[in-house]
Amino acid sequence: MKTNTSNTKKWDTLEQDGIPIYSGPIVAAALSVLLGLLTLVVTHHISRLTKGLDQMIHSYGYWIPGSTGTGPDGSIGSYSGKETLALLVWGVLWPLLHYLWRKQDFSLSALIPLVIWALIFLMLGLFHPLIDPVVLFIAGFFGYAVP
Amino acid sequence: MTNPMIDSHQLTKFLIRFQAICALVLLIMISGLDLFFPTQYALKAAVHGISAISALVVATYMTHRAYFLLRGGRIHYESLRNWALGATVLNFLGAVSGNWIYMRYRGQDGPRDWILQNVPNFHNVLMEFKEFISLFPFPLMVIATFTLFYYKDRINLRHDMKQFMAILMMAAWFFLMLGFMSGLILAKLRFV
Repeated sequence: MKTNTSNTKKWDTLEQDGIPIYSGPIVAAALSVLLGLLTLVVTHHISRLTKGLDQMIHSYGYWIPGSTGTGPDGSIGSYSGKETLALLVWGVLWPLLHYLWRKQDFSLSALIPLVIWALIFLMLGLFHPLIDPVVLFIAGFFGYAVP
Repeated sequence: MTNPMIDSHQLTKFLIRFQAICALVLLIMISGLDLFFPTQYALKAAVHGISAISALVVATYMTHRAYFLLRGGRIHYESLRNWALGATVLNFLGAVSGNWIYMRYRGQDGPRDWILQNVPNFHNVLMEFKEFISLFPFPLMVIATFTLFYYKDRINLRHDMKQFMAILMMAAWFFLMLGFMSGLILAKLRFV
């Protein structure tokens, strides 16, 4: 009977045809997406504090057609800047983390509850009646207190 | 008593496909008929509605495949790869067309102005929630699609990876459903 005496596998990294299967690339993809979505939530709340901050965030999105304009056809306004910043965070972090973790193995069983809770947190972070008091409380530390 | 003239296997297959096609056509008509609405933004509305409904239908189908992945079962990965890619493309179309129709929503005398004047919370709470939550499914589907293409059939060896992917698909469906439902309510409240 064949015995495996050199079992140095971390977590449950398995091999097929001699190629180990690392979970690093999945973790890199998931983390970059979560941070991109967090950027979306944070920039949204920042843009609501003052007109100046809204214009600053809007300026990142000028490259998107329809980001500026008035009249009946309208425009997407600072939503374009929030999307751009979120895409930027996602787009920069994903290849970087992928490169760093492509041969690393992480426990996905530990990551699953973290991702679920992060998504719930992000979702609730978009529900104004719940999050607005928290945002205003934090903004108060930076001198953006609204009466 | 069975009728030897009827192949029950073929009949079942036909009826399943017939039911699915009927449901899809009728669902798409909810937004497809926007094209004939008396507004100059009919095309934008129809494109967004049709892509959103299609994305939801494909994502719903995929959650049924996800149950097998959750249990660690082996499925036809090549087919799942194609479905995941299709769902990602449809989610992308939904997001892009959403941006397109959102312009008119915010336009002069558009739905936003009307809602803010009459029922402000539908904009301040529901729309502000919807416009961001609708962006969640696309990147989640991108991760699932990337995983399927990156690991190919070897993913079958890792139960935790299959489970993680299934949860991503379920989460994408959940956010898609939230965005779809909010969009439908807002469109019913004040059409573009």
